[in-house]
Amino acid sequence: MQEHIQLTQKEINRDLLSGVLKSPKWWLPAVLVLLVVFLIGAAAFGYLLNKGLGVTGLNRPVMWGVYLVSFVFWIGISHAGIMISAILRLTQAEWRRPVTRAAEVLTVFSLIAALLSAPLVHEGRPWRAGFPIPWIMPWDFARGIWPNIRSPFVWDPSAILTYLTASSLFIYVALIPDLAILRDRLSGWKSGFYSVLSLGWRGSPRQWKLQAVAGILLSALVLPVFVSVHSIVSWDFAVNIGAEGWHSTIFAPYFIIGAIHSGVAAVATVMVAMVWLWGWDRYLRPDHFDAIGRLLIVVGTTWFFFFFLEFVFAMYTLEGPELAMRDLQVFQYPWSILFVVFLITAFFFPVPMWLLKNVRRSMFWMFVTTLSVNVGMWLERFIIIIPGLLRRQPLVFDWGTYHPSIIEILMVAATFAWVLLGLLIFARIFPLIPLFDIKEGMVGREEIKIGRRKVAASIRE
Amino acid sequence: MRSGSADDGHTAVSGPVEVSRDLLERTRPASRLFWWAAGGSAALLALGVIGFVIRLGDGIEKTDPWGYYAALVAFLLTTAQAAPMVAIAPRLAKAHWRRPISRAAEIFGVVGVLNLILFIPLVWVLPDLGDGRRSLWFFGEVRSMPAHMPHIVTTISMTALAVVGCALLWVSSLPDLASIRDNSGGRRRRIFAKLANGWHGTSRQWFTQYHRLGILGAFYFMMLVFTHFAFSVEFGMSLVPGWIDALFPATHAANSLQAGVATVLVVMFLLRRFCGFGDYIELDQFWGLGKLLFALSLLWFWFWFSSFIILWYGKKPNEEAVLDLMMVGPYMPAFVTAFVLNFVAPLFMMVWNPVRKSIWGPTLVATGVLIGTLFDRIRIYVSAYTVAGAEDKHEMHLPLPPANLPDLADVLLWVGALGGVALVYLMSTRVIPVINIWEQKEALLYKIHKPFHRTEVLVLGKKD
Amino acid sequence: MEGRQKWAMTVDVDRCIGCQACVIACQSENNIPISDEPLFNQRRAMEWIRIERYWEGEFPDVKARFIPIFCQHCDDAPCEPVCPVYATYHNSEGLNVQVYNRCIGSRLCVNNCPYQVRYFNFWEPEWPESLQNQLNPDVTVRSRGIMEKCTFCIQRIRRTGREAKRDGRKVEDGDRGLNPACVNACPTDTLVFGDVMDPDSRVSKLKEKEMSEDGRGYHLLGSLGTGPNVIYLKKVDEHASGPTHA
Repeated sequence: MQEHIQLTQKEINRDLLSGVLKSPKWWLPAVLVLLVVFLIGAAAFGYLLNKGLGVTGLNRPVMWGVYLVSFVFWIGISHAGIMISAILRLTQAEWRRPVTRAAEVLTVFSLIAALLSAPLVHEGRPWRAGFPIPWIMPWDFARGIWPNIRSPFVWDPSAILTYLTASSLFIYVALIPDLAILRDRLSGWKSGFYSVLSLGWRGSPRQWKLQAVAGILLSALVLPVFVSVHSIVSWDFAVNIGAEGWHSTIFAPYFIIGAIHSGVAAVATVMVAMVWLWGWDRYLRPDHFDAIGRLLIVVGTTWFFFFFLEFVFAMYTLEGPELAMRDLQVFQYPWSILFVVFLITAFFFPVPMWLLKNVRRSMFWMFVTTLSVNVGMWLERFIIIIPGLLRRQPLVFDWGTYHPSIIEILMVAATFAWVLLGLLIFARIFPLIPLFDIKEGMVGREEIKIGRRKVAASIRE
Repeated sequence: MRSGSADDGHTAVSGPVEVSRDLLERTRPASRLFWWAAGGSAALLALGVIGFVIRLGDGIEKTDPWGYYAALVAFLLTTAQAAPMVAIAPRLAKAHWRRPISRAAEIFGVVGVLNLILFIPLVWVLPDLGDGRRSLWFFGEVRSMPAHMPHIVTTISMTALAVVGCALLWVSSLPDLASIRDNSGGRRRRIFAKLANGWHGTSRQWFTQYHRLGILGAFYFMMLVFTHFAFSVEFGMSLVPGWIDALFPATHAANSLQAGVATVLVVMFLLRRFCGFGDYIELDQFWGLGKLLFALSLLWFWFWFSSFIILWYGKKPNEEAVLDLMMVGPYMPAFVTAFVLNFVAPLFMMVWNPVRKSIWGPTLVATGVLIGTLFDRIRIYVSAYTVAGAEDKHEMHLPLPPANLPDLADVLLWVGALGGVALVYLMSTRVIPVINIWEQKEALLYKIHKPFHRTEVLVLGKKD
Repeated sequence: MEGRQKWAMTVDVDRCIGCQACVIACQSENNIPISDEPLFNQRRAMEWIRIERYWEGEFPDVKARFIPIFCQHCDDAPCEPVCPVYATYHNSEGLNVQVYNRCIGSRLCVNNCPYQVRYFNFWEPEWPESLQNQLNPDVTVRSRGIMEKCTFCIQRIRRTGREAKRDGRKVEDGDRGLNPACVNACPTDTLVFGDVMDPDSRVSKLKEKEMSEDGRGYHLLGSLGTGPNVIYLKKVDEHASGPTHA
């Protein structure tokens, strides 16, 4: 990184604690608006609970609708946190430092949003499903009735809850040194609150060592969980032999790489928002956007390759039902438009844009392109799930269409409000950029002179 | 903290001038060992030619006898032709530990030419699309594509891969070729002046050099993936009735990355042990590659399992038949060997710190991975060639043919091809220094040791 | 288990005239909610047995073909392993059963059913006052939010079994008390129900005859390997053009 700014520890504390120690002007109105959207969604869920799934647009054979789309989408977004934190931490990429925590927080809230999108609400009888704790709990074990571990719907909540636990721990471990700073700066009950949370952190060498080891161990352990979660989500679809378009071996890697594509894009969007909202432009430099842009080119292209493979092998069979489903997906009216929009927004617009250095280093363009990726990736899940069910089947003359009802739309909107709300409230209570990580980076920063040039360098242990 | 410990990549040959002198000296005289190795490889290659002649005697009408030959081409595509990726990927990621090994990996680009030659007879063995075989080059039920589309496209991509591999090697070694030119005289100087193509190390040339390397690297990777895509489907999957596995080409390519790393690791070990490059190839390189191998072994399992669970869970007869053919049926021993050597052994050995951070550990695992890959390719291609040409393209009908064991010709062919690879590789090192001189010298600029409070730390620069 | 049974059915497509009597019989036997026009328009109508109609040929030379489709009670039913709560499972008599009380309505089973014979209760079922007394007391009225599907009229199988045991006799093949409602209602004897473990039953004999080399028997979507317990007997029609759909 060429043009970094060396800051003193005092400046770092002042800048990065600004969101916690005092509330920005826009904060309360924004939270209130989001809260209203979320509550409207909750009310819509209440109505759904009262009347039954008839109030949605679901029908036969489209048994899963935008709830599942939203579920897969949020699980996808949740892959950002681990991608950025764990992988970049293990590979010691310097540019991860200001980004990690925001990414992890995004992971946790979007995971909860995923749980709110489908598993908890889209069941016919959520109360029987053990709402709010999923059906994987063996409620009826006394009668010898256990959950069916062969079902992807048992793997699914297990993986997600493991992931949620692991990523919460991940955030917490990285948060402890910063909590101690807040404890020392505040007084009264606030200090008490942070002192309980900071677990007696004094910054002794032993504590630092344990914290670093815990971080690395959690990074390594959370990676298999990260891979398993979205693989399992994809198997909810791919193990079905009844839905031709879903029954494809490539689904697990395809979903994972798609999740990374949308997740990393979402992190870039959040990074821009952090600069615009809190003014942290001394920490999130164009270099950071440049690095994440390069990463996105690789991820996006790989994702496109898997998309291509998935499509090619659907055609490769040359079997009627599969071709009929693809025909619906690509050529029939509402889906054809969505398909084109999806391809453009998820790949053909953003990826060539990122090839330009000016785009990668411009916050505005990164905001636009990464947002476009997520529009595309939402549509991608939509055109996998809905036309996948809405196809002409060999034995049914009943294939109609599907429109999400207002209830479904409100509930999906509420999940978006929930994630934004979570981020804003988290940022009000905890620093969104890890102070200690930034300071470590500043201390470890060096320069090497080669001839007349200076090259940025960093200290390695 | 550091002083002489091997793991920080601090080489005993410390200055740029010493590096140049040392490495250039090594390109001059060839040791007795070298000529023995080259002679032995040439002898093996001759055996391979005999094997090929025997194999030709079986004719090209039936696919069965050619299974091991197809597996051989696939094996070389998976191992040797993927090896340059070990130079390309860390170079793009600007990892310093790659420097001493990138050339050794790139030289495998030349092996691509050998594999292209080996590939040619397969084109004749492969049945054309006229028999209703599935293909990537579909065009509706009425095939408007030429019946030889798979043959044409795969040949083109194999050729392109070999050409790009050689180009990459040549471009990356331009500065070194120029060093040799400048440090020799007479005929040798004239030859190397031609090879170095006017390299003088101007800033403009260096600027183009970095860009060319980046572009050629990216292009090699894409060609590699595409070749795996075309080859694995047209010469493997499409021959098996009812086998529809969208992940298979990606698995093939991912396996090749693992095998490529393993290949380079083994070559590293040989260079260190027998050629006296211990000052350059140190623990750091084995450690870096070992971690990569570990990650790719986990990836091996994930790709395999992603396919397996979908084929197994649905209990569709066509998919069960494929599992029968390749995993639990006649080729189960080959599959189990591959599974153990490609996943189980790497997992349980490399998860252990002392093994991962050693010279012998990654080498041992890499040897296992190469053997495992061999069995993996055998179970896929040999089995596919025994069932090729079935009437029904939707499903295999039991009973499955028994396992096809290698005969004398197959053994000769395999031994000969591996001898050929060794020969090509050895002869290439006569022209091109097997350790990258310019990258090695560059490393010395970017790595310094500095005092830091009460200790001394390594400072790594990153070029942008 | 004394006298193990395995229930199966044959459907002679050659005899089906598409009269829908079976649909009505099923509707009233199994307390299936009334599928009125709005429900059809919502595409949420329920018919445990449905008649799919195919038109063949061009006017005026047009022919209607009918095929009744209902739960195939597959031996390797794709719907069974995917249910997270064991609401659908295979019982010892070869039936694919649905336990309404366990069902949480995740609808994964519908997606995995290649025959699309599982129906979801989107709304709370309602009957007009006049039909309240028509409900069959032997069959649970399902609430909203759960799956349901053809049971081979398990309540009738159970009742005849119970009564036979009480009277100390064997369950008779072709007993009208045993037969599912659709079989009893069929005017053309299209549907034959019985126990394939009993070699003398009509369905066993039909199976043996028709599933042989030159028989007419086939399974729906046989390539999926679901092992259905319903055997279809194909239409014999010299005017039929080309292979039939299945």
